[in-house]
Amino acid sequence: MLYDLELKSVGKTYPDGTVAVSDFDLKVEKGEFVAFLGPSGCGKSTTLRMIAGFEEITNGDIFIMGQNISKTPPEKRPTSMIFQNYALFPHMSVRQNIAFGLDIKGTPKAEKDRKIDRILDMFNLTEFADRKADKLSGGQRQRIALARGLVVEPEILLLDEPLGALDANLRRIIQNELKLLQRDLGITFVFVTHAQSEALGLSDRVVVMSNGVVEQISAPKELYTRPATPFVAGFIGSNTLIEGKPSQGRDQELQQIETRYGPISGVGAADANLAVIPAEAFTLGLRNTPGEIRLEGTVTAKQVVGSIGYFRVKLSDGYEIEVEAHAGAIEAQNYALGSPVTLGVDPMSVTLIHH
Amino acid sequence: MEVRLLRPVLMLYTALFLLFLYGPIIILAILSFQSQSGGPQFPIQEWSVYWYRHLLGLAETSRVSQLPVGESLVRSLVLAFMTTVVSVTLGTMSAEAFRTRFKGAGPIFYLIILGMMVPGVLVGLGVALLANFLDIGRAWWSTSFVLHVVYTFPFAFLVMLAIFNRFDRSVEEASLSLGVSPAKTFRRVTFPLIFPGVLSAMLFSFTLSYDEFSRTLFTAGADLTLPLSIYGTFSVEIYPNVFAFGVLTTLFSFTLLAIYGLLMKRFTARSKSRFAGQEET
Repeated sequence: MLYDLELKSVGKTYPDGTVAVSDFDLKVEKGEFVAFLGPSGCGKSTTLRMIAGFEEITNGDIFIMGQNISKTPPEKRPTSMIFQNYALFPHMSVRQNIAFGLDIKGTPKAEKDRKIDRILDMFNLTEFADRKADKLSGGQRQRIALARGLVVEPEILLLDEPLGALDANLRRIIQNELKLLQRDLGITFVFVTHAQSEALGLSDRVVVMSNGVVEQISAPKELYTRPATPFVAGFIGSNTLIEGKPSQGRDQELQQIETRYGPISGVGAADANLAVIPAEAFTLGLRNTPGEIRLEGTVTAKQVVGSIGYFRVKLSDGYEIEVEAHAGAIEAQNYALGSPVTLGVDPMSVTLIHH
Repeated sequence: MEVRLLRPVLMLYTALFLLFLYGPIIILAILSFQSQSGGPQFPIQEWSVYWYRHLLGLAETSRVSQLPVGESLVRSLVLAFMTTVVSVTLGTMSAEAFRTRFKGAGPIFYLIILGMMVPGVLVGLGVALLANFLDIGRAWWSTSFVLHVVYTFPFAFLVMLAIFNRFDRSVEEASLSLGVSPAKTFRRVTFPLIFPGVLSAMLFSFTLSYDEFSRTLFTAGADLTLPLSIYGTFSVEIYPNVFAFGVLTTLFSFTLLAIYGLLMKRFTARSKSRFAGQEET
């Protein structure tokens, strides 16, 4: 099958030997929204810039629609990049900014005007068309940058922390617009961000990176429920990690590890040695799930915000863990500070991974 | 108390500064209106524009010969123009090269800067000797021209380097990513944004070349440039026609500055925050 974007063990090593990215493998289908997520310096922006052609690739190859573009200069790639600082042309009006790519391509005037008018309208920019781009607000400028990048009809739109410079409210609004836009246009989006909420809320798939290495590529929900590495388990959501030794599996579906709190079973590999339990998988008190894991402790902190109760529970050996529970499902008043509590966990929501 | 003292001291300093800056020009200007019978000193015998008319060849014949500046003025202007074009082009190109680190960037930087550091008379003499040795004729448009470029190129280079330092590269990347070739990106995006810098570099190169003396002295050959021919008249006797010429050439410099100022103003008014792309988050 022909992928819109394909990275084959792409890597970048700087002349001084520093490795920025290594062995990046990714296949993106047409119209997919992929986010690169990770702490700053993890190589996500470098990878995006390699796709755009602004950074040289030292290993592997990049294909767009089956074409190897590893050596193609940026202006010849069917990609368009959106920058965090907008990178608008300050000496041009909004309309000139948007027209720039089409002008140079020599698009016939009638067609050009039609395309520009349509995109101005789409981004609610018609009334600002003749103003200087740098006289407008951050949100408007970001829309101009998007319009400018999209009007040349790229195969893939690359977005480098495009919402980073906006305030929280505006960010939410543009975030929604972006999602709708992407669905309407059916263009592949590759989006770089260090904000979890953006990556998880917008994308079809998330690539979690750390130290130049891909940690996990999966749908947002799966990152929560089935983290693949200790880094992802620590980076996404709020998980309790308990180390142990591999032990005999209980049945076909579930594996088991031996921990200091007794055996913990969950979904994962046979020789796993780390149990990952999401904070919201705990119940205060026991349900009647077969094979339920039981942990004893005392409540050391409690905060009920709306319908969710956030608890801190100290286990028998002093290890403190975070627990989230729906306030309706528990009787919060039963668990005052210092009171003993039994935590139950359904093994199906536990993930066993390698440490 | 300190502040009370500081103010008059600073005012005195400023006054002295202005006096030393403009005093000589003002004296020159006043003396240029000396009458025909007066010498190049005070007192003014009678106010007149005689020496201006003398300069332009409008005065009735006198025992003082006309200041031989006509041709040398043209030479100096042409030389300054040639130097400006070449220096600013080279300066912009090398500053562009220095935007990316390359092997040997450090030594090359100092080699370029050397051109404005070495004593002018010595390089002038050196080039003259070299020209003799290689049997190349010395002329204002060849040997002097090369030296003028060597001298002004570092200034243009430093100005452009400072401009590129503040330049936001992502604007160029945005252009490339829209499918615009590097050459067109330079012409349509980079150049308009660095234009004020280019203007400043041009002003530097032009003025430095226009009144260059020491480097030109040994390399100009038989046809003199303006500073040389003015210096030549000093060796006979000084008449106020030199002052009149000084006033006119100062006015010319002010005109250049005014044009520069107007162009800068026009440009900065067009886009108030040229580096808006760099706005912090």
